[in-house]
Amino acid sequence: MKQHRKKRLLNILLISSLSGAGVLMVLYALNTNLDYFFTPSEIISKELPKNKRVKVGGMVLEGSVERDSSNIKFVITDYQESISVQYAGIVPDLFKEGSGVVALGYIDKNGLKAEKILAKHDENYMPPALKD
Amino acid sequence: MLVEISHYLSILSTAVFLLTFTLVIILDSASRHSEILIRRSYSHGFVLFLISFLIYVYLAITDNFSVIYISQHSNSLLPTFYKVASIWSAHEGSMFLWILFLSLWGFAFNLSKDSETRIKNISIGIISLIIVGFQLFLLITSNPFETNLPYPPLNGADINPVLQDPGLVIHPPFLYLGYVGFVIPFSYGLAFLINSNESVNWEKKTKSWSVFAWVCLTIGICLGSWWAYYELGWGGYWFWDPVENVALMPWLAATAFVHSLSVASKSNTLRIWTLLLSIIVFSLSLFGAFIVRSGIIDSIHSFANDPQRGMYLLAFIGAILFLSLSLFSAKINLLTAQNELKSQSKESFISLNNIFFGVLIFSTMMGITYPLIYELAYNQKISVGAPFYNAIYAPITILASIILVISIESRWGRGFKEAKKYNQLYVSILISGLATLALRYFKSDISLIILASFFVGILIISRYLILISINLRTNKYTNIQSAIAHMGLGLLILSISANSIFSSERVFNMKPNETKDYMGVSLTFDELQLINNSNHDSIRAAFKVTDINGRISMLYPEKRKYFARGQITSETAIKITPKRDIYITLGDQLENGSWVVNLQLNYFIRYIWFSAILMAISGLIIVGKSSRARS
Repeated sequence: MKQHRKKRLLNILLISSLSGAGVLMVLYALNTNLDYFFTPSEIISKELPKNKRVKVGGMVLEGSVERDSSNIKFVITDYQESISVQYAGIVPDLFKEGSGVVALGYIDKNGLKAEKILAKHDENYMPPALKD
Repeated sequence: MLVEISHYLSILSTAVFLLTFTLVIILDSASRHSEILIRRSYSHGFVLFLISFLIYVYLAITDNFSVIYISQHSNSLLPTFYKVASIWSAHEGSMFLWILFLSLWGFAFNLSKDSETRIKNISIGIISLIIVGFQLFLLITSNPFETNLPYPPLNGADINPVLQDPGLVIHPPFLYLGYVGFVIPFSYGLAFLINSNESVNWEKKTKSWSVFAWVCLTIGICLGSWWAYYELGWGGYWFWDPVENVALMPWLAATAFVHSLSVASKSNTLRIWTLLLSIIVFSLSLFGAFIVRSGIIDSIHSFANDPQRGMYLLAFIGAILFLSLSLFSAKINLLTAQNELKSQSKESFISLNNIFFGVLIFSTMMGITYPLIYELAYNQKISVGAPFYNAIYAPITILASIILVISIESRWGRGFKEAKKYNQLYVSILISGLATLALRYFKSDISLIILASFFVGILIISRYLILISINLRTNKYTNIQSAIAHMGLGLLILSISANSIFSSERVFNMKPNETKDYMGVSLTFDELQLINNSNHDSIRAAFKVTDINGRISMLYPEKRKYFARGQITSETAIKITPKRDIYITLGDQLENGSWVVNLQLNYFIRYIWFSAILMAISGLIIVGKSSRARS
C-alpha cells in the first residue's frame, strides 16, 4: 500500500513539474515572439523595444501616398502624430488615403520599414486603438 | 408576410424544443412510450425550424428586401446561389444556419436506433436544451427576421465582394457541420454519466458520430485554407489568424478525442480522460463561436462588435461548461475501476499523442488570449503571430511524428514482442535520411527545424508504405484507415516544409507587351481588357507564362469594381502544375502607366490540402466500416 502511495506521489510530482516547465516554455516563446502594437503618438511618447518587430496602426494621411517603381511610401497618422512608412510590394485592395491601415515592420530613423501592410476587409473598419 | 411566418415558426420551434427538454425531465425516460413521445417532440421542433429556414432561403432568392438582414447582405444582381449563400455571409444568418445544423445532428441522432433508451432520451434532452439556448440567442440578440417596413429599400447592399466566391457557398456550412457535430458525443457522454451504468460502452456508440463530425471539420478548415489562398491574394495557406486558431483548437481536441475514443472503447482504459475530452471538444467549438461573434478579438473574420451578444454567449457557454464539469467531477468515481496502462502498448502511445495535442491546444489558447491579458496588465497592445506558433508547432509535431513511427506496430494491451519489427523502421530511417541529405546537398540554406520536418514527413510516409507492401505480400491485416490518415499527416508535414523551402515571390512593374524573367519563368504582359459583368466591372490583364520547358499558358488576373458598394477587389490567377503553382496578382497602376504585378511560385501547396483530404477519407472509411458492422 505504502509503495503504491509513493509511486502515485512520484507520478503527481513528475506530471506537475513537467507541465509547469511546459507552461514556462510556452510563456517564454510568447514573450520572444510577440509584436507590439502602437499608434503614431505612442511611438513618439513611449520607449520602443529595440530591434523588435512592431505594428503601427492608424489612418493613411490624405495626399501622402507616393509610389516609385515597386516601392510605396505613405504616412500613417492618428491626427496627432504621424510616421512615414516604406513598403515594397502590393498593398491590399482596401488600402487608400483616409482609411485605416496596419503596418508591420521595423522602426529606423527614417520611419517604419514595413514587411506587411494590412487593411481590414471592411470599409467601416477603424483600428481599435483609434476608437478609444 | 412570409418573413413573419418564418419568424413565428422559429419561435414555435424553440417552444417545442423546450417542451422536449421538459418531457425528458418529467417522464420516466427508460420506458418505450416516453421514448416515442420524446422522439416525436424533437422531430417536430426540428421540422418547424427547418421550414422556417427554408422560407428564409426563399425570401433571399426572391429578393425580399423588406427583411433588413437580406437587404443588407444580398442584391438583386447576384446570381441565385450567392443569394442563398448571402444568408451565411454575416452574423445573424450564419447563426441561423449554425443552429439549424446543431438541430440537424440531433435529428439524425434522434432517428437512430439505440438499445440504451434512457441514455438516448437524456441526450436528446441535453441537445434540446442547448438548441433552446442558442435559439433564444438568435431571437433576442441577433434577430434575422427584423423588417424595415413600410419603406423597404429598392435594392440590397450586396455581399461583401471579397465573399462573392464559390468558397463562401461551401466553406462555412462544412465548418459549422463539424463544429456542432460534437454535440452528439458531448451530450451522450453526459447522459452516460447521469445514467450511472459504467458497463455501457458509450465510446463505441458515439464513435461514428464523432469521426463524421471530425471529417466535416477537417474539410471545413481545408476549404477555408484553400479559399484564403486564392481569394486574399497573399499566396499563403494559413495565417495564424485568431479565427483560424479557434477552428484549429477544436480540430486538435477532436483528433485527440477520436484517438482516445478507440482506446476507451476497446480496452477500458483512458475512459475518464475520453469523457473529459468530449466536454473539451464541444466547449472549444462553442468558444470559437464566442470569439468570432463577440468581436472581442480583432480579426479579418470577426463580425461586428456587439457586447450584448458577447455577454450572452459567454454566460451561456460558461453555464454549459460549469454544469458539465460539475457533473463530470460528481460522477468521476463511476469510471475509476480501470485497467492500468501497459508500457509500450498502443494505449500508452495514444496517451502520449493526447499529451502532445494538449500542449498544442494550450499554446494556441495562450496565443489567442495572451494579447487580451497583456493589454489588461501592461496597457500595451500586442499581437502574437506566426513566429510563436511555428516555435511551438514545429518541434512538437516532429516529436509526435517520431513517436508515431515507433508506435506503428504496437499492440493493444501489451508491449512490443519481436525486436525484428525494428528492421522496417531502420529501412525507413535510412530512406528519409538519404532524402534529407540529398535536399541539404542541393539547397544549403535550410534551417535545422525545416530539415527535421522534411525528414519526419518522409519517415512517416515511407514507414507506412513499407508496412502496407509487406502486409500485402504476407496477407496480413492492415489498418488501412490509420495508414491513410497518418500518411496524410506525413504528406502534410512534408509539403509544408517543402513549400517553405522552395516558394518565392517577386514584385514587378510591367507595361503591356513587356516581358520579365524570374526563376525559369518568363512572364509577358499581353494586354488589358475591360469587361462588364452583371454586378461588377473588371479590368482583366492577360499574361503569357512560359516555364522552363517552354510550355506556354495564359493567366488572367483581374481587378474588379463592384457597383453596390463601390469596393475594389483583386482576383488572382493561378497556373497549377504538379510541382508548383504560378500565382499572379495584379496591383495598382502607377503614374507612368505601368502596373504592379506580383508573381509567386508556390511549391507543393496542393499537397497540403490533399493531405487533409486523405485524413477525411480515412474518417469516412471508419464511419463506413462501423455502420456496416452495426447493420
